[in-house]
Amino acid sequence: MREPVSGKQRGATRTRVQRGVISILWALAGVALVVFMWEAVKFVGSFIDLPLNTSDTSMPHVWTMVDAFSNPVVRGSDTTVLQAVVSATLTSLKIALGGFAIGVTFGIILAVIMQRFAFFERGLLPFVIASQTVPLIALAPLIVGLGNRISLGPIEWTTTYSVMFIAAYLAFFPLSVGALRGLQAPSATSLELMRSYAARPNQMLWKLRFPSSVPYLVPALKVSAAAAVVGTVVAEISTGVKGGVGRLLIEYARETTSQPAKVYVAVFGAIALGLAAAALVSALDLYLTRNLPKESQA
Amino acid sequence: MSSVQTSHQAVDVQGLWKIFNEGSNNEVTALSDINLSIKPGEFISLIGPSGCGKSTLLRVIGDLTDATRGEVFIAGETAHIAREKQLYGIAFQQAALFDWRTVRRNVELPLELQGLGKKERRERALELLELVQLSDFAEHRPWELSGGMQQRVAIARSLAVDPPLLLMDEPFGALDEMTRERMQNELLRICQETGKTIIFVTHSIPEAVYLSDRVVVMSPRPGRITHTVPIELGERNEDTRETDTFYAGVTAVREALRGRSTSASPSRIEEF
Ligand SMILES: Nc1ncnc2c1ncn2[C@@H]1O[C@H](COP(=O)(O)OP(=O)(O)OP(=O)(O)O)[C@@H](O)[C@H]1O
Ligand SMILES: [Mg+2]
Repeated sequence: MREPVSGKQRGATRTRVQRGVISILWALAGVALVVFMWEAVKFVGSFIDLPLNTSDTSMPHVWTMVDAFSNPVVRGSDTTVLQAVVSATLTSLKIALGGFAIGVTFGIILAVIMQRFAFFERGLLPFVIASQTVPLIALAPLIVGLGNRISLGPIEWTTTYSVMFIAAYLAFFPLSVGALRGLQAPSATSLELMRSYAARPNQMLWKLRFPSSVPYLVPALKVSAAAAVVGTVVAEISTGVKGGVGRLLIEYARETTSQPAKVYVAVFGAIALGLAAAALVSALDLYLTRNLPKESQA
Repeated sequence: MSSVQTSHQAVDVQGLWKIFNEGSNNEVTALSDINLSIKPGEFISLIGPSGCGKSTLLRVIGDLTDATRGEVFIAGETAHIAREKQLYGIAFQQAALFDWRTVRRNVELPLELQGLGKKERRERALELLELVQLSDFAEHRPWELSGGMQQRVAIARSLAVDPPLLLMDEPFGALDEMTRERMQNELLRICQETGKTIIFVTHSIPEAVYLSDRVVVMSPRPGRITHTVPIELGERNEDTRETDTFYAGVTAVREALRGRSTSASPSRIEEF
């Protein structure tokens, strides 16, 4: 009976891979459509007046953008724009991932505390919700200012940590709320069953509550990862911290008159950042839901 | 199984009351003055209209909810100690299997929580799956099984720690008639093989009569025991359901449920 089992599982993976291939094809079709639309608008714009500036300075040709990849960052430099954007994107990715990890960790810890002690849920949840009304992005420069006064002994607080903090803060909220709902998801029967086994509170958490929270956790992780990425890029822009793709966006945007295609390379970097985060979360999704029936893989 | 069992009742319920929301205006007296003694190895069915407190009684016995007044002993221990010591296994109407575990690991769960070694609990789980004739599905996921198969897994799981007492709350409620009869026979076989005491909640009169040594009839508002109908069918087999004794048992329980038999012919009940 071992045979059919593994056979079945292999079958399931195959359909997953197939689904993966199909969604990649769709994504490529989407990219092709955007490129086509872009060029179509430019083409139409060269004949009639559109309420949109379709000149090569504001809407460079797609091939000009691709061409711009290999331009040097500044005249005579060895590094190409592509290299600069790739390294900036990687820097931002590290910050976003750091913020995501911190936000997820705190989100889960807080959810566990709120689930465990109804008192904390009543006391903390309103604050967690209210915290989201604080426009942290707008306060970013203030946070950088505060951050500069933090001293952590040997570790030097840099502006990068402030950006990471903002990303973590934005990632934290959707996660803690989703995780709390997930931890509260087990049915009364499952809870009674565990009680009948005289399960200890930590066993209750690891053997029942965490596994049953997965269907709630996965969408929360998706939202959190997106929030961490957006938070990172926007915080980079608003604090002007060097090294990330956010700063590159402003820098290259200033050069549109001379090199209109350059800023789009940075835009591609930002898009790649979002895609990397999405890919990471999808991998997490596949891992976490590997044992669950298809229906609950929302 | 042993000194504890010979010197004590398997289950002893004394003057038990369960009142939900006591003192508030939505107070519900779910159980009133329940007295019930069950001998080791006895098969007891609880039957009665919806809301008469069958599940509540089972849950109080299992220490899943507190008694308002009165006491419950399982093999001489308080319900709380009995639960801590895993002196009973429980199965509900919903199989309540964990989707993220294989069938085998679902059966292992109670043993895992007790800290039994990997190898031992695996062996025990496979043994139990054989008992419920699901060896072939050990590595399947619960959702790949039919409702009846899932229910058998739940029964195997309730037997995992080899408890002397089984509490079963309408475990066959969701099954079709054929599957149900097969499961009843399997349950009786398991009981015979393992000598367990069983408290079985059901809505089906024939099921209660077929399975039980004693059928406990309850009535609602407030939930209480109105009759106890002893059943003496001897060894059950294919023809048991056709015998006069069986029909007489069914009639007696039905009369009791209508609240008649005490006034009509109280002695008849004792005859069985
Ligand atoms: N947690 C609770 N809070 C308040 N009242 C409850 C609670 N659980 C049960 N009750 C009440 O106790 C009474 C008995 O309920 P119980 O579930 O034991 O009935 P039952 O005999 O098992 O019914 P059924 O045959 O429908 O399963 C009902 O009136 C019900 O409303
Ligand atoms: Mg019930």
